[in-house]
Amino acid sequence: MIPCTDFIPAYSEMFKYLESRDGKEAVVDFWTYLSDNFLDNLREEAAKNGIRGCWNYWSRTLNEEAADFTMTVDDEEGAFSIVMHHCPSKGRLLAFEHIEPYRDYCEHCDLLYRRVLEPMGFTYEPDFSEVDQAKCSIVIRKKG
Amino acid sequence: MPKEVMVRNAPDNAYLHKDFHGALSTGIEYIHNRYGEEAVREYLRQFTRAYYAPLIEEIKERWLPALRAHYAQVYADEGGEVIIEETADELLLRVPFSPAVRHMREHGYMVARLFHETVKTVNETLCEGTPFAAELVEYDQETGRSVQRFYRRAS
Repeated sequence: MIPCTDFIPAYSEMFKYLESRDGKEAVVDFWTYLSDNFLDNLREEAAKNGIRGCWNYWSRTLNEEAADFTMTVDDEEGAFSIVMHHCPSKGRLLAFEHIEPYRDYCEHCDLLYRRVLEPMGFTYEPDFSEVDQAKCSIVIRKKG
Repeated sequence: MPKEVMVRNAPDNAYLHKDFHGALSTGIEYIHNRYGEEAVREYLRQFTRAYYAPLIEEIKERWLPALRAHYAQVYADEGGEVIIEETADELLLRVPFSPAVRHMREHGYMVARLFHETVKTVNETLCEGTPFAAELVEYDQETGRSVQRFYRRAS
């Protein structure tokens, strides 16, 4: 059995495997499949509770992932943000000495969540300029 | 509702996000659909050789006790159960249910048709280059209940 605590390296190695088969296109195709088939809980939260649904979704996942973050929601402004001071996934991958993270590992977040939220009337603005230090941020806003 | 802020430091929580089992299962199903059954096993062999390389070295040095310690920890961390029977030449793991499969069933995640390969292929690959081999003696697709056997290869 692969424990959930070993999922992140399994995920990163899966990206490498797919790229070795059919290039980056296969990796992006998988991320699209994952977004469509795995993120129903985010989709349902956002549909039911709007911007507060983002707070509900990430409140659970980031705490279970023992992330180091500041998360803010403003219902009146229709805005939600995460400042990830230390991403547990990328941080874990960077800490391993015997495996290298997949080169474009952090891109999966952008595709997975943008693909769910933008068709539902949200904007999704990430800042991935410091992912080499396991830091990033996202701002999600309800349009209109 | 007013503006709300949540601040967390890494040590505030334990690292245990079981939804990851659902993501791995979705990935296995994707590889199965796109490239076929053998590709799932190929991916799992590559992953195991790369990520579990330190464990494989430990198995080469300490043999079955290293495997026993690894899986006792894995099932304990996941809130599962495992009954372990061990002799000098054989290690038997009786797992009443898979914590991964249980979580996926309870939360409505798709369980990949080849999810059992995360047991079978991973165990077989962990034994590569050692005096031991692995066999998945029993596996129940609904619950992930399994009997896993590690035994000394015939010389």
